[in-house]
Amino acid sequence: MELKISKISKQFGSVKANKNISLKIESKKIHALLGENGAGKSTLVKIISGHYKPDSGEIYVDKNKLELGSTLSSISNGIGILSQDPLDFQNLTIKESFLAGSKKFGKYFREKNIEKLLNESFKKYEIKLDIRSKIKSLSIGERQQIELIRLLFENSKIIILDEPTNGFSLKQRELVFSMLKKLSNEGYIIILVSHKLDEVFELCKEATILKNGSKIKTIPIPYERKKIVDLMFKGDKSVNKIKNPISKIKKDNMHIDLKYYKKGIAKIPEGKKIGVIGLQGSGNDQFIKKIFDKSISITRIVNKEREMLEKENIYYTPSDRLEKGLFSDLTLIEHMALSDNRNNFINWKKIKEYSSKKINEFNIKGNLNSQAKELSGGNQQKLQLSLIPDQKGLLAIEQPTRGLDLNSTQSVWNKINERINDDICLFFSTTDIDEVWDQSDWIISFSGEKITDISEKKNIKKSDIKYFISGVKNK
Amino acid sequence: MNSFEFKNFYILTIQVILAFLLSSLIIILLGASPLDVFKNIFNGAFGRPEKIVKTLLIFLPISLASLALIITFSTGLWNIGIEGQIVLGAIGATVIAKSFLGENALSPLYQLIIGVSFGSLWGLFCGFLKVKFNVHEIFGGLGLYFVGSGAIIYLILGPWSKEGIASTSGTDIFNKASWFPTFSDLNIPALPILIVSVILILSIVFLGFTKTGLKLKATGTNPDSTEKFQFSSGIYIFIAFAIAGGIAGLAGVFQASVFHHKLVPSISGGYGFLSILIVLASGKRIIPTMLLALFFSAMIAGGSQLQLRLNLHSSLISIILSSVVFFWLIVNSEVLKTKLNKLFLKDT
Repeated sequence: MELKISKISKQFGSVKANKNISLKIESKKIHALLGENGAGKSTLVKIISGHYKPDSGEIYVDKNKLELGSTLSSISNGIGILSQDPLDFQNLTIKESFLAGSKKFGKYFREKNIEKLLNESFKKYEIKLDIRSKIKSLSIGERQQIELIRLLFENSKIIILDEPTNGFSLKQRELVFSMLKKLSNEGYIIILVSHKLDEVFELCKEATILKNGSKIKTIPIPYERKKIVDLMFKGDKSVNKIKNPISKIKKDNMHIDLKYYKKGIAKIPEGKKIGVIGLQGSGNDQFIKKIFDKSISITRIVNKEREMLEKENIYYTPSDRLEKGLFSDLTLIEHMALSDNRNNFINWKKIKEYSSKKINEFNIKGNLNSQAKELSGGNQQKLQLSLIPDQKGLLAIEQPTRGLDLNSTQSVWNKINERINDDICLFFSTTDIDEVWDQSDWIISFSGEKITDISEKKNIKKSDIKYFISGVKNK
Repeated sequence: MNSFEFKNFYILTIQVILAFLLSSLIIILLGASPLDVFKNIFNGAFGRPEKIVKTLLIFLPISLASLALIITFSTGLWNIGIEGQIVLGAIGATVIAKSFLGENALSPLYQLIIGVSFGSLWGLFCGFLKVKFNVHEIFGGLGLYFVGSGAIIYLILGPWSKEGIASTSGTDIFNKASWFPTFSDLNIPALPILIVSVILILSIVFLGFTKTGLKLKATGTNPDSTEKFQFSSGIYIFIAFAIAGGIAGLAGVFQASVFHHKLVPSISGGYGFLSILIVLASGKRIIPTMLLALFFSAMIAGGSQLQLRLNLHSSLISIILSSVVFFWLIVNSEVLKTKLNKLFLKDT
């Protein structure tokens, strides 16, 4: 089987989202569409799925020409999309959701047959779930597995995954990836849309790099990573090495009371960046939250006296940016007004000047009257950071770069690094070993809601971390 | 005028025209002439100075109830219990008027204090049920309204019954000292007008220029984020209910001591529910809400004229008003706005 895309172009207003893209994707070779946000990946996917009609170009599945701009034609030619957020019914059981959602069974069906079919495919793809369990009790990775099964039931032969691993733990990723590999070997065409090199290397045999709407190159995987990054960012000036300041002044130790974790008191010098690593759900995010609500108390030396850190000096940003960190319907300028603690009356003129300055400084793509929900994830995160007061404090940041592309990731870290030397310290959680290694001075590892290691980075090796977070004691 | 304002303006025009067309249709169906009806309503509301005063007396409680609702709506609360808060305000005023203070020259002042406190407490109670026991404010508010309207019947037939015979027509007329002072022969309620104007200005400042107002709005859009900003959504729900309940209570005081001069079973006049429609129809913005409240007050004041002059039942007004609001909301919906834009503003 093969999917042939020929000379696809699509323009939105003045933006050329896809410029004359041609490529060929064969079965048994999992193919990656690589590129930054705005490279044109999503547009191309939506053209293949029939949600957008291209301005020109053709698409063939084997010898059949797709009727472009028709989702029906795409579906009947076996194209199925697995989207970032599983589209499912939280309150139904797995079985019920198949009864409700699948056309395969027709109007009349026998429950026994469906159970049999489901159990067979679960067994085949090693999904260890009871079909009677509720969808809402499943992890996001498990829900994506179910969605994959659904695509198979809809007779999809070409499966496109649009950044499917957001919010996955490593283990969930492995489960889904092993299923995808199996499907690929059976002859399905699998296309992975991603900007994460790690997962592309783990899963794919080929990758097409898109940039500014054009195809740069199709390359075999594995391939030299540095060259891929160069291809993805060719011509981008903003991509510099993340600046990582090193403080030379000797600073006092903070005492971090970890009795909640039965660990005693950890002593870490001020001014350090402390990465808290663990898999999704390992308790590393909760650690950051506990610092904020002072269930973990921290003391520091102020004027030669050891003092407890006050809540107003702890600047916290949660990982659920829109759900817990911002007010979705309020505008940028209203957020700025809320964070200004001087008095109860709002001087809109002053706030406006201040906000414009901050928007510039943090390079937030939006205007004063954009609502938080209208911003992209990266800009929401920058907004969160811009709301942190300039005064010295302790930064407690959950997953600073979750779901962000490389550019946003770098500007977020640059912003944090600019101020961290003057701050008390930074605690951040992450699930990404690379990030914790690149950004931390100290590393706290979590596994199963327990602290498995606290070390200064220079005393451990990067390869140790994966043991710490998987709970394996032996290095 | 930029295109955005122009769009709003022409949609408003369409809404007004359609509203008139619809009510004309209803009137024609009832066998009357729309022109006669509108003329009579207008004359009934604004035809003579004393009619304007009457319209104003209706406008005062409606505008207060609407302002109260804008505050709770901003906080994301469906304060259906506003009727109950009005009732409690009126009961508060009557407590004073029926006591030894009722003959005191400062009686109106005491009525304001007690009536506002009663309304505010009733609102707070609803907020308390929501925050502490997770009772949705619609159910809490409705329940408390029933309690309030039960209480008012009991009071009118029991402790505060008329001399000689208890009657659902209400209590005895209050002592003159308990009436709000008016001026000129037209009995213009100067003090209530002043109070409403002050509250109107305070509301604009409060919601537009204070952090407390902004925090109410923030609580309304996403209570889960308030923790990060280091304030408690619960407290702001209390604040919203306390203020809204107080303003509604004030409307109740005016109903009892400025309009009826006694306590009657239907003291709230349904103005609370009517205000919900007004506020929703005007997009929860203060100035449009006030204009619409004035329009509704005029319709109600002028409507009583219809029976006399045209032999049409005055309930016709309710039918027209509710159809207008209903229609208004439909036109206001985003879906229809987009379609109208496509139809009339092809180039933009």
